[in-house]
Amino acid sequence: MEYILKNGIVYDPINEINGEKKDVMFKDGKIVNSVSDDAKVIDVTDKLVMPAGIDVHCHLAGPKLCVGRLYRPEDERRGVKPKTDITRPETGFSIPNCPATGYRFSKMGYGTVVEAAVPPLEAKHTHEEIIAIPNIDIPPLTLFGNNWFILQFAKEGRIEDIAAFVSAWLKITKGYGVKIVNPCGSEAWGWGMNVHGIDDPAPYWDVTAREVIRALAQANEMLGLPHSIHIHPNDLGHPGNFPTTVNTIDCMKDIKKNSEYRNQTIHLTHAQFHCYDGTSWRDVTSGVEPVADYINKHDHVTMDMGQVTLDETTTMTADGPMEYDLYELTGLKWANKDIELETASGLVPFIYSGRNPVHSLQWAIGLELALMIEDPWKVCLTTDSPNAGPFIRYPRVMSWLMSYQRRAEMMDNKEVHAWAGRKSALGTLDREYDFYDIATITRAGPSKIYGFEDRGHLGAGAIADIAVYDLEPNNFDPTRNAAEVEKAFSNALYTIKDGQILVKDGEIVKVVSSKHVRTEVEGFEDEEKRILEEIMPFFNRYYTVKFENYVVHDHYAEPSSVYKVNASK
Amino acid sequence: MKQITLTPIKFSSIALEFDELIPDEIYGWSKEDFEKYEVPVGNSRFPLTDYYDIEVEGEAQSPEEVKMIIDGDAGRVKYIGCKMDAGEIVVNGDADLHAGAEMEGGSLTVNGNAESYCGREMKGGEITIKGNVREYAGTSYIGEWRGMSGGKLTIHGNAGKQLADAMSGGEIHVMGNCDILAGIHMTKGFIQIDGDVTRWPGGQMKNGAIVINGRLERLLEGFELDAIVTDPEVEGRQFTGKYIKYTGDIGVNGKGTLLLNAEKNRHHL
Repeated sequence: MEYILKNGIVYDPINEINGEKKDVMFKDGKIVNSVSDDAKVIDVTDKLVMPAGIDVHCHLAGPKLCVGRLYRPEDERRGVKPKTDITRPETGFSIPNCPATGYRFSKMGYGTVVEAAVPPLEAKHTHEEIIAIPNIDIPPLTLFGNNWFILQFAKEGRIEDIAAFVSAWLKITKGYGVKIVNPCGSEAWGWGMNVHGIDDPAPYWDVTAREVIRALAQANEMLGLPHSIHIHPNDLGHPGNFPTTVNTIDCMKDIKKNSEYRNQTIHLTHAQFHCYDGTSWRDVTSGVEPVADYINKHDHVTMDMGQVTLDETTTMTADGPMEYDLYELTGLKWANKDIELETASGLVPFIYSGRNPVHSLQWAIGLELALMIEDPWKVCLTTDSPNAGPFIRYPRVMSWLMSYQRRAEMMDNKEVHAWAGRKSALGTLDREYDFYDIATITRAGPSKIYGFEDRGHLGAGAIADIAVYDLEPNNFDPTRNAAEVEKAFSNALYTIKDGQILVKDGEIVKVVSSKHVRTEVEGFEDEEKRILEEIMPFFNRYYTVKFENYVVHDHYAEPSSVYKVNASK
Repeated sequence: MKQITLTPIKFSSIALEFDELIPDEIYGWSKEDFEKYEVPVGNSRFPLTDYYDIEVEGEAQSPEEVKMIIDGDAGRVKYIGCKMDAGEIVVNGDADLHAGAEMEGGSLTVNGNAESYCGREMKGGEITIKGNVREYAGTSYIGEWRGMSGGKLTIHGNAGKQLADAMSGGEIHVMGNCDILAGIHMTKGFIQIDGDVTRWPGGQMKNGAIVINGRLERLLEGFELDAIVTDPEVEGRQFTGKYIKYTGDIGVNGKGTLLLNAEKNRHHL
């Protein structure tokens, strides 16, 4: 089937198309340069056209979500929507049920959403949930930062063995890339402890976060994986943590990248939580400046925002000790999970409020980051959904980035506490993102960062993932109309996935299966075999499951989209 | 003043849901509007006229001027008066789950028994149950830590388990007996129980007051004896006679007040 999207105003930063009126053509699910006269015409004259969105960091499938839904029924009742002829029933606000997750992303014009933290032991569950989530492609990132084998090998400096292990475990878990969460800290949580800074060794293993991060990054580049290491550094959410953040990215600067498509060797995730100055919550101030300054001066790092949206939400992360701290702070209910040899996670409900000084400062810090980092290609829009806010708020974050007036208004009329202005530089930042910048931080940048050569742009050969919004960029001023920006980005006029129209006029019109997007390394099979043989006695001794039941079998990951990588040793 | 009378003509074993039929929504409805209305039944909707004869008398300019009478058993009608803000609803029979849940104003009277979750997360208004209620009356939603915050719930009969879980305001008066864990997690508000209580009132309560005029079987270990008081005044209400006053639950550094009628609770001394 051939289609032609006619006369839209196209923003496609990878192909340097900045608001040109042009047609986008696609055939059999791929973008093409020309179509025949039989092509079906979709008239989108003067409307905003972009590639479909790519979310670089979201928690949307897996055991944490399931625990969250089980222990937060009070969240599930928010956002209840009955089934229709096309869609299944929806529930939930910060932790929606699986179908709702797919529909809501689709309605915002998103096509690919990265599941940010998959413990290998629970990878099967993640893939089961991906099967239940429709309409978006999902690459899962596999957790390695507190894995016992990695800690051991990093201590011994066995980089090639780590590469073999990563290569094998990406196949075993059907994962896309390497995620590191509070390296050594989540492991220390097994002893009721945490680590602080990147040179504080994990108990028993006597290895530091610096050694683990560097080892995994070297292995990542040895394999030439499409994505760099994706890191949630130590000391998340602690006042005075910005030096840890700078040290974490700085310890990577001599590592050479092995990828033509991406530019970075480290992706710093939910940076907002990692840019605090001060010594306690009483004297906390923004620590954005040194971090943004470092990122501005170095090209080996990219980041995503982790923007606080001032909602009641659910925090969930594989950073067990941090969640315990949060529980101590809020006194609300807390769930803790021990993932055997791999990690420890936790969940705590959280109410971000504009009346609260700290939350308002966090809100300011996220925006400050996006506005102080000069190159939008280094920035991605996220809310670390659902940790800093649910993903359905992305359009609202866009409206804040696009309008200085709106930000000032929020600070002036007390929608946020005075700390937002007093303890950060947000009030002085009058930069405003335009549609090209928004397309960069939600489409083009993520595509580059993840090595998704086939998506995030509208060049011939790319998959036909396209979003059309009910805005006319040539007759519309986003700096003065924040509410309309939010409304338009929340309800796509069209969301097209693999050439199929899934959303029309903000409503789901078609439901398709999500693809499991994963990486497979070729040319490392012998090393993988050797490492598996070596660790198997240890595996059998300490895991509660047999290896045969640990592996994610092929039928869990259908349909798949596989990125093959030739390990260039 | 507008009076709406619904007389049951057919029983449905699958529950009907009445959360849309509150004075705030229907004060402007004519008889024809009711006849057009389809009521949720399980996962479908059917005409309200399948189940009720409907009579509408008088006119209303606002929800306050509405009186709705369900003239018969509503033991399989859920959410009666749920989220209502004004007006009056009377049920001449039993009510099913969530009667008066999230109510903000007006009044609901059930001349029969009410099922569980009666008055859940109530914010204001008045609920009177002439019979018994089951579990979780005046409580929070499952998983929720913010419960009833205002209004008055009066139960002429007995109350079930976990009355007023996470209560943070308002008033509950149980004239009959009460089962375990009344006032669990409560942070504010007032509960009076005139009958006997099985065990554990006020578990993990942080503040607020519970007065028990009947016999309490078992007290939680987290309550410390304060004093024997005579004719105490609790939250502006005067009680006569001797009471044993406890403070708790010390397990959560609670400063709540628990008063037991001294005559009937000598076994605790």
